Amino acid sequence: MQAIISSTLAAVVAIGLLLGAQPVGAQEKPRYGGELLFVVPSQPPSYDAHQEETFGVIHPMAAHYSTLLRVDPFEKTGTKPIGDLAESWTISKDGLTYTFKLRKSVKFHDGAQMTSKDVKASYDKIIFPPAGLKSSRKATYGSVEAVEAVDPYTVRFRLKWPESSFLLNLSSPWNWIYRAETLEKDIRWYEKNVNGTGPFTFVEHVKGSHWVGKKNPDYWDKGKPYLDGYRALFISASAPQVAAIRGERAHIQFRGFSPAERDQLVHALGPKITVQESPWDCVLMVAMHHEKKPFDDKRVRRALTLALDRYEGSKNLSKITIVRDVGGIQVPGTPYATPPEELQKVAGYGKDINKSRAEAKRLLREAGVPEGFSFTFKNRGIPHPYEPIGVWLIDQWRQIGLNVKQEFIEASAYHPMLKRGDFEVAMDFACGFIVEPDLDLGRFVSDSDANYGKHKDKVIDELYLKQGRAVDAEERKKILRQFEKRLLDEEAHIMYTLWWHRIIPHSSKVKGWTITPAHYLNNQLDTVWLAE
Amino acid sequence: MWRYLFKRFLLMFPTLLGVAVVVFLLIRIIPGDVVELRMAGDRGAVSEEILQQERTRFGLDRPVWEQFLTWMAGVVRLDFGTSMWTGAPIWEEIRLRFALSLQVAVMATTVAVLLAIPLGVIAALKQDTWVDYAVRIFSIAGLATPSFWLGIVFILVLLVVFKWLPPMVYTPFWVDPWQNLQQLIWPALAVGYRYSAVATRMTRSAMLEVLREDYIRTARAKGLWQKLILWRHAIKNAMLPVMAVVAVEFAFLIGGLVVTEQVFNLNGLGLLFVQAVAHRDYTLIQALVMLVSGVFIVVNFALDIMYAWLDPRIRYR
Repeated sequence: MQAIISSTLAAVVAIGLLLGAQPVGAQEKPRYGGELLFVVPSQPPSYDAHQEETFGVIHPMAAHYSTLLRVDPFEKTGTKPIGDLAESWTISKDGLTYTFKLRKSVKFHDGAQMTSKDVKASYDKIIFPPAGLKSSRKATYGSVEAVEAVDPYTVRFRLKWPESSFLLNLSSPWNWIYRAETLEKDIRWYEKNVNGTGPFTFVEHVKGSHWVGKKNPDYWDKGKPYLDGYRALFISASAPQVAAIRGERAHIQFRGFSPAERDQLVHALGPKITVQESPWDCVLMVAMHHEKKPFDDKRVRRALTLALDRYEGSKNLSKITIVRDVGGIQVPGTPYATPPEELQKVAGYGKDINKSRAEAKRLLREAGVPEGFSFTFKNRGIPHPYEPIGVWLIDQWRQIGLNVKQEFIEASAYHPMLKRGDFEVAMDFACGFIVEPDLDLGRFVSDSDANYGKHKDKVIDELYLKQGRAVDAEERKKILRQFEKRLLDEEAHIMYTLWWHRIIPHSSKVKGWTITPAHYLNNQLDTVWLAE
Repeated sequence: MWRYLFKRFLLMFPTLLGVAVVVFLLIRIIPGDVVELRMAGDRGAVSEEILQQERTRFGLDRPVWEQFLTWMAGVVRLDFGTSMWTGAPIWEEIRLRFALSLQVAVMATTVAVLLAIPLGVIAALKQDTWVDYAVRIFSIAGLATPSFWLGIVFILVLLVVFKWLPPMVYTPFWVDPWQNLQQLIWPALAVGYRYSAVATRMTRSAMLEVLREDYIRTARAKGLWQKLILWRHAIKNAMLPVMAVVAVEFAFLIGGLVVTEQVFNLNGLGLLFVQAVAHRDYTLIQALVMLVSGVFIVVNFALDIMYAWLDPRIRYR
């Protein structure tokens, strides 16, 4: 009986995966009308995406705004830039000038015409914020020398050096275009107000409860959006989130559910639920403090990564928590991800775990680390996936004769602990909004604020710069492989555990939405519609 | 009596000041601060420059005593400042949640009182009969059942059996009473049951004690009508400790329904409290603690007035 239920569930999920992943135009004609109800597990601190870091801002509010470029909403890797407010663009031969032609029929929700002034003012706020104003992603635009409004519908970015990630970086879901005139009067106006050019206008925000948007009749993309409106429900605990989907009080939650929650929903709702899954641009890593013995010795660090049986771990952990893929420095399946055969050559990724662990034990002996050596592993006090991954790591290290004690630190005290360097070995974490090496790997350069293990490695720093400036994709891949080999194998500065796995079970009525590896993408909702 | 009440009224202020000092200092002892938490987000990295910039904006770089005095100056004017997490005025953050929490507290108290007083009185009057045993089982089960667990059972039964879930969004009673009750009746029942169990036990034992008093025997000996003895002499006197339990429970419900609010996804003060602590939103935590303490103090003051009304010994002291 159990087997029948399991295979039925698997079949429903598989069908859902196939159907749910298809783009809007591929099979059915979009239907107009209806209100999309979705759950948001976090809440917006302020309304200004340029300053904020949480998806609690993006999910309820992205539909009010447009960006210069956006990531193709139907492309599953979330790495293909397409025009949003930009109709077309050209790149100079030296790669230093990007010129964008803007759409002419775009209006802000207050009726004002959108022009290049607005794009320039918004990007100036992001890249060159005035003193005292925070811009969370300013550092990722270090290559930009100036943003210029050439004429009312042409905007130009001049770079100091060519940057292969630049177009994708301009597709950032955070870079909402604000009205220049409003910013001129009050640069903080957007912290508490909404006025964009997106497919939905703002109706109301009841703090802690919900956010409502309604169809923008003047949206530039005629015929869109399909929905009459949407309502985002703020629900922090996971059980009521599942209950909301199960009780059909909500259609979807855009961040992700656990495997158990997915199975529960599929079991309860059968064909009424569709499941989309994807590798997730979030990963837990292990930071080893390079200034604390014996972790200053790369042999010890290599031994720790060699001890991990990632493939077996993936099989077992993916059943109980939100991790699955074994990968290197990029999300598996994305353009710059390590091909599996190459990955297996990196320390800790070989298929023969006995051989790896024998090598790990040899390295520990060589480094003078005694059998049964003990240390404390600090972990973040969040159940999923931190706790199961922590338990798994300890078990893996025990296999090479290490005696590890796990200490959970409350989530809110965790980041300060990492910054203080108050650990020997600790869980590190990262979530990206677009899979792009420039955005994902900057944390590993020696002077990065997120280099918690405090390694100093000029080779890594140079390779990072080199890959970012490599215009040819194949050349960039080669440099990235060198970077990866050095970071994870030769120096073993840090170790990747398993990539997260994003699971979105949603009402089968929801169409026109495609999962990507980042939970920050695809929230403009212009392509989404509700089937009857 | 007026002197007694005035004394009780004046005592409220040093209590509030003590609460203010304790909460202000305690929240700053806990590791981690609002700026780091807000900046770290999901990405887990933020520059020291940005952190300092934000700390300066919130005044967190100033000495603690200076921060305290600034805050107290606001509190005296009933201005609790703005949330460090959302930047919104504190009153705006609290207003809607307070209305919801207050309504749940009132509804749960109503459920509890309607159950507890008749059941407690009947159990006392029918001591050691099957009625008494049934009431005792009912109340002990209530004490042993956490209200959040009962809430989960309600949700599961509604979902699995009736394929229905209460609304997820709070609608004020004056906007749509039916929608409002559909959402709030379930937590009120879950909380009210446990609350009634405490009050039933208290009512029963207070009634038993009062029924054995000399003045009740005297009243019976005088041949007074049983109902009159019960209403005028027994219940009124037995209500003193019951009122105390009901009042303290009511005050607790205003900010203490943390898990129940999560189960029913209620946008109440309990949930706001948890979020404020998780975010280290100092100004919001301080305001919430002051608010809940204020409710406790006001409820206790009201209780003192009630005591004075119910017990002439206090009134004429």
